This record gives sequence, C-alpha cells and structure tokens, in this order.
Amino acid sequence: MYIHMSDKSGSEHTGQSHRDWMRHPAFLGALIGILAAFTQALLISAGGPVAYGFCVACHTRDLVNGLTNIVAGTHLALAPISANAVLPVMSIVGVLIGGYVAAKKSKEHKIRKGTNVDYAIYFLAGVIVLQLAMIFGGCPYRAALRTGYGDLSALVFIISMAAGVIAGAYIMLKWAEREEA
Amino acid sequence: MVAVGILPKDIAIYAVPVVTLMLGLLIGYFAQRSGYCSIGGFRDFYLFRHTRLLSGYITLILASFAGYLFFWFITPAAMEGFFWANTNGLFTAIPGAPGGLSPAAYFLFAIIPGFFIGLICVYLGGCPIRQTVMASEGNYKAAWFFVGMCIGSIIFAAWVSGAVVVLMKSVGFGV
Repeated sequence: MYIHMSDKSGSEHTGQSHRDWMRHPAFLGALIGILAAFTQALLISAGGPVAYGFCVACHTRDLVNGLTNIVAGTHLALAPISANAVLPVMSIVGVLIGGYVAAKKSKEHKIRKGTNVDYAIYFLAGVIVLQLAMIFGGCPYRAALRTGYGDLSALVFIISMAAGVIAGAYIMLKWAEREEA
Repeated sequence: MVAVGILPKDIAIYAVPVVTLMLGLLIGYFAQRSGYCSIGGFRDFYLFRHTRLLSGYITLILASFAGYLFFWFITPAAMEGFFWANTNGLFTAIPGAPGGLSPAAYFLFAIIPGFFIGLICVYLGGCPIRQTVMASEGNYKAAWFFVGMCIGSIIFAAWVSGAVVVLMKSVGFGV
C-alpha cells in the first residue's frame, strides 16, 4: 500500500512563469468564493438554497436527477434552483470540459488505467461519498461556502473531515510501515 | 420570505444553466492547473507540513465570506439570512440535507458524514473535485468514482434520503 499523491500537491512545484500565481490553489479558492457569492446574487430569484454557488456532490445530483426527470418523467428530488430552471445547474459539465481543456493545453492529459478491482472500489466509493455528502447537504466545497455564509454546523463538518483525513493518513502510514517491515 | 436576485425570475430560470456552466469551466480549468483539492490540503499538511493546497481551501472559506458580505451590502434581498449564525441560531444548518428533523440531527449529519468523507477520500487520493478533474485528465479510476456519484444521486433520491429521515425519526430526532 502506498499513499496516493495528486500530481502537483506539496510545495515542490517550481515553474518559472509570470502567470504562476494563476496556478496557485489560493487563486482558485478566491475565485470560487467570490464567483459563488456573485452567482447567488444573480440567480437566487430562480430558487434556493443559499450558499449553493458551487458544490461537486449537490450539482452532480441536480444534473443527474434533473436530466433523469426530464428524460424519464420521474420525480427525483433536487434543489429548487435546478427544479425551477429550464435545465439543472451545469457546473459539473463545465468542470469536466474545463479540466479536459487545461489538461490538453498543458499536455497533461494521459490515459491512466487501473485494474477492475480498482474500478469497483472507486465506483463504490463514489456511491458512498455521494450518500454521505447528501446527508450532510454538501461536499467539502459547499461546506466552505456555508461556513462563509455563517453556518457553524458546516464548520463542524470541516473539522470532522480534517479529523477523518488525519485518521485515514495515519492508518495508511501504518500500512506502509508494515509492508516495509 | 422569498429571496430576490439581480435577475428577475423569468430570466433567471434561463440563466441558471448558462451561468453555472461558465462558472464550472473556469473552476475546472484552474483546478486542473493548480491540482486543487480540499482533502489533499489537510493530508499534505498533516504528513509533510505543506501548506500549498490547504491555503487554497482556507482562502475559499475566507473569500466566500468576503464575497457574501460584499453582495449583502449591494443586494441584501439576494443574501437571505446572512449572517446565518446570527439570524437563524448558532448551529442551525442551511437547508440542503433531508428536511423535517431536529437541529441536533443536523449536528450529527455534520460530524458523521464529515469524518467518513475525510477517511474515504484520503484513501482514494482526492476529494470529489479532484476526482472529477482527474477523470477529465484521463484517469479511469477517477472516472469510475464520478460514475459512482452519478448512480449514487439516483440511489439517494430514490431510497436513502427517505430511509435516513425514517431512521432518525425512529430514534427521536423528529421535530
């Protein structure tokens, strides 16, 4: 067992470009925070809830359930803003296209395959993470937006999530040590 | 009280998919460039004391507060119930979770899913947005995670949502 690392995590990144600040996570954090507030100011007449500008789990739910309702005539639950609008929120489609364009442009797009067991684990994890996120009412991103909006229960979620991350990282460190021994 | 935004309702219902698509394009592009990840931020700080990714998540919290505060000054009618802890009680949750339960239930809904999302996502190597972006980079495992989220959406709306409410009410968390 090894600890999966995202490609550009950590502070070892050394690019020398005048647009380097655009590659800093803090830039995106500021961008999402301000644009999420702007989106709410612009669109809230279409329906709530508040602090809903961006959320990976909720917006995926709205997209899938909204399109399923339109195509199959079902009545799956989704947020009022997506239920009232002509089409549900499309931010996840945007994230997929935006990520693809950025990866192609920087030549970082690369097919990485796994085993069938990996696929089964990731599929199951996707199902479970979505259930957990929906029970709370948001993924880590909506939790941040809700905290910014003044919802302290979302701050409790973030602290609890940090505890979960530390517990998980600790367990994986122990696994790695046992495999080396 | 119905919140009123800058756009009137009959225009906003057409603007929703367009505006959110453009927002998503920007977020997806810069998330790929920066390797943005909330879970990864806490993990890197715990394991290596790296603050790069964590600074992104903390900036998000602070910037969203600044953004909401700014638009609360400009368009107060669109910022319903801001600042939430002040107008709605200290630990009252913003709607989004299954409804009709007591405030204590939403407190549990924050603690338990939070812990397990952290635990599962650190094992997978990224939070939902990192998985989505990795899927767009050509990572098949992350793509299966995304498919799982899509199928999970229907499962949640069809069965889990109702079951959680029944369960919580049966153990005394009803209103």
